[in-house]
Amino acid sequence: MTAVRFAIRQGRWGLIGFAVAAFVFTLVQTAGFYQIAGHTPQERAALGRTMSALAAQLVVVFPPPIRPDTVGGYVQFRGFNSLAILFAVWALASATGFVRGDEEKGIVESALATGTSRLALVASRVAAFAIALAGASAAAGLGFIAGVASGHESVELVHVAEGCASLLALSLACYGIALLMAEVTAAGVATAAAGATLLALFFLNSLSRELSWLSTWRWLSPFRYYDLNQPLPPGGNFDAKAFLVLLGIGLVASAAAGVAFMRRDLGSSLMRLPTRRKPPSYAPSSNPAWRIPIARGLYERRLGVLAWAAGMAVLALFFAALTRTIVNVLLTIPTLLPYLSIFVHQQLYPAVLGYTWFNVAQLLFAAMAITNVARWAAEDVDGRLEMTLSAPVSRAAVVAERMAILIAVATIVAVVSGVTLFIASHAQGIDLNVARLGTASLMLVPFALVFAGAGALLASWNPRAAVGLLGAFAFASYLDTELGTIFKLPAWVQDLSAFKLFGTPLLGGVDGRSLALMLLLAAVGVGSSILVMQRRDVGA
Amino acid sequence: MLPEMAAAAIRTSKLTKDYGVGRGLFDLDLQVAGQEVFGYLGPNGSGKTTTIRLLMGMIHPTSGSAHVFGLDCIREAVEVKRKVGYLPGDVPQFGSLTGDEVVAYLGGMRGGVDRRRVQRIAERFDLDLSRRFREYSSGNKQKLAIVLAFMHRPDLLILDEPTSGLDPLNQQEFYALLRETRDDGATVFLSSHILSEVEHVCDRVGIIRDGRLVRVAQLDELRHIRVHRVEIEFAPGTDIPESEIRAAEGVQDMAVDGNRVTCSVHGSFAALLHAIRDASVTDLVSTEPSLEEIFLSYFSEPKTRLLTS
Repeated sequence: MTAVRFAIRQGRWGLIGFAVAAFVFTLVQTAGFYQIAGHTPQERAALGRTMSALAAQLVVVFPPPIRPDTVGGYVQFRGFNSLAILFAVWALASATGFVRGDEEKGIVESALATGTSRLALVASRVAAFAIALAGASAAAGLGFIAGVASGHESVELVHVAEGCASLLALSLACYGIALLMAEVTAAGVATAAAGATLLALFFLNSLSRELSWLSTWRWLSPFRYYDLNQPLPPGGNFDAKAFLVLLGIGLVASAAAGVAFMRRDLGSSLMRLPTRRKPPSYAPSSNPAWRIPIARGLYERRLGVLAWAAGMAVLALFFAALTRTIVNVLLTIPTLLPYLSIFVHQQLYPAVLGYTWFNVAQLLFAAMAITNVARWAAEDVDGRLEMTLSAPVSRAAVVAERMAILIAVATIVAVVSGVTLFIASHAQGIDLNVARLGTASLMLVPFALVFAGAGALLASWNPRAAVGLLGAFAFASYLDTELGTIFKLPAWVQDLSAFKLFGTPLLGGVDGRSLALMLLLAAVGVGSSILVMQRRDVGA
Repeated sequence: MLPEMAAAAIRTSKLTKDYGVGRGLFDLDLQVAGQEVFGYLGPNGSGKTTTIRLLMGMIHPTSGSAHVFGLDCIREAVEVKRKVGYLPGDVPQFGSLTGDEVVAYLGGMRGGVDRRRVQRIAERFDLDLSRRFREYSSGNKQKLAIVLAFMHRPDLLILDEPTSGLDPLNQQEFYALLRETRDDGATVFLSSHILSEVEHVCDRVGIIRDGRLVRVAQLDELRHIRVHRVEIEFAPGTDIPESEIRAAEGVQDMAVDGNRVTCSVHGSFAALLHAIRDASVTDLVSTEPSLEEIFLSYFSEPKTRLLTS
């Protein structure tokens, strides 16, 4: 029990942050429904049609909505399905943080030295995360109930509980899988391997909605079982078997992770490639990259850059391949034809591709910026920044080099994914405007810089809280663009969102004002970060 | 070399870092001469690392100032660090980088690092630089930190508990390296709570407690801060001048056992000798204190009885 309490204590900010985010997110989505849905059946049916059209474009991310003309269907689609992805990311961070982060810090060794068995330690972490999940899922349910109350309607509490339980079960399954992957792979790649596995399982399920050859394999994905549970809308369902399968995946994967943990040495992975014995070397590396600013940072994270570029390229391939299918689905909806006729026929495909691809790309570039900020914060906490500053470099130079590395990484990934998208779409017979695709892809760089600038400021001010606060900033920025119109927020408030500022550059070209605003926001972030960095105590 | 004979390598004036609730460093006035090896002694939490981090410009003083070779440690931090080799108290985490990559990375940031010198130091400590940092033992991590601190032949070495984690053989190797570096003209500021370490290498010692410098002395001078253990044997039948001894200046912890008196004497013996001048003494033994005992004496005493420099 002490181990469980200790684990909860360690992850308390995650619990608080995700619970608050879940509550706010479902509350805002629910209240937003009443802002836009109207009161007559006709108005709500119209909203349902619009949501169906939107959902058709997002079919590679979210399952098709059920009764989006109702508050339950709308919040299930826009609220709980988004939270499922968010909670999966939380599960990933929490599981790999325990297996590799705590192990590297010596926390695991200290815990085992008290006589706690390895299985018991893993069980305590799983239990602690389940408790945290229960709290955050309940917060999501409460947000929904509060939102519905604000619309003077009511919901069946049992359906809300089923929705929360589904969230919990999916996240627990993701936690178990991430735990297992982190146990069996080497420390340096544990997070990447666990993340890649979860991402692959996610896309296995989501792409199987459009690619029939994948559907025979989707039973492997926990996200498939989550899709089967859509309890909030009228006529929705709670599949108890699917729920139990999710719990089973979580338990079996966690148990397997426990067994793997028992069989491996602390600090090592379960599976290790045999290494050749080499004579000792006493000379420093002669690689010239280490001597060149920016190049040294890129070289150090070369595997990460490669993974990002390859991952984004694969996604671009899939999105290009899916565009025709998505458009064909849209064209079969008669009520959407007037809406679609706005587009010149040749622009329909670019419009859909631009919307789907760049929406996902924005989220991933924001995530890329957040992972970089997490690294900066960790460098401060683990003493690496202090070592760097023991060399004759100024704090401003450190911040500037960090930003330059991020720009370089973002540019590489944007170019690789942009080129892949162009080639893949061309192969599909979709002709994209090369100049617009180029500028749209490169717009992802200043977009990432907005988050990096904010993150640099937060990491300079309080590195321990930086990632959480930046996550909240990204979340607020996303909400701003999603709900700004619905809640009639002032234009200047909506303009603060990087998601809004990004616009639709593939269709309409780059808006100079938005680009300037993004660069201004990034510059303010970096400038104030340098000022704060100069004044603060390193490692404090 | 005497401190006053060379320009100050380190000079602090009323240097204060107040963390609140009595924690931090207070009013530190310190001067370390060029080519001097200065030992900075104190128990855990006494303010050694805070002093070092202030000198390195990692943290900002609440008040006062710190200069290295006349350069302000905050305003001219970059220039200061050109001249300094730094070994932090906690070796930072470099994860999956190999030792040679860490050296190349930080050497590349600094510039002007002699590869042959790196190789010589690594060979001397038998540190295999081809292995990943994550796989290093704590001793090997400390050896890597030593390589990083010494690799560019700095004018000043600031070392925070440098032998922590090293085995005795490597400790001796480190002391030898330190002496050679001093002989080559470098200044060393070394924090430690191991007195034998400063006995090996230091010219002068500063003792810090609860964030305040309580004494700065040459190593010999420090030994002369008398905290001698004295045992006096009186002739049978002699009236032991107990009250006179107890009242003598500098005498503490007196105990009488038959015709034997034991006590400790701080400072001069004059008052004690005066107290027993009329008694018949058959034996008097004074034990020379080790540096360890001096240290313990300083830190086991109530604060009010501490000597001030």
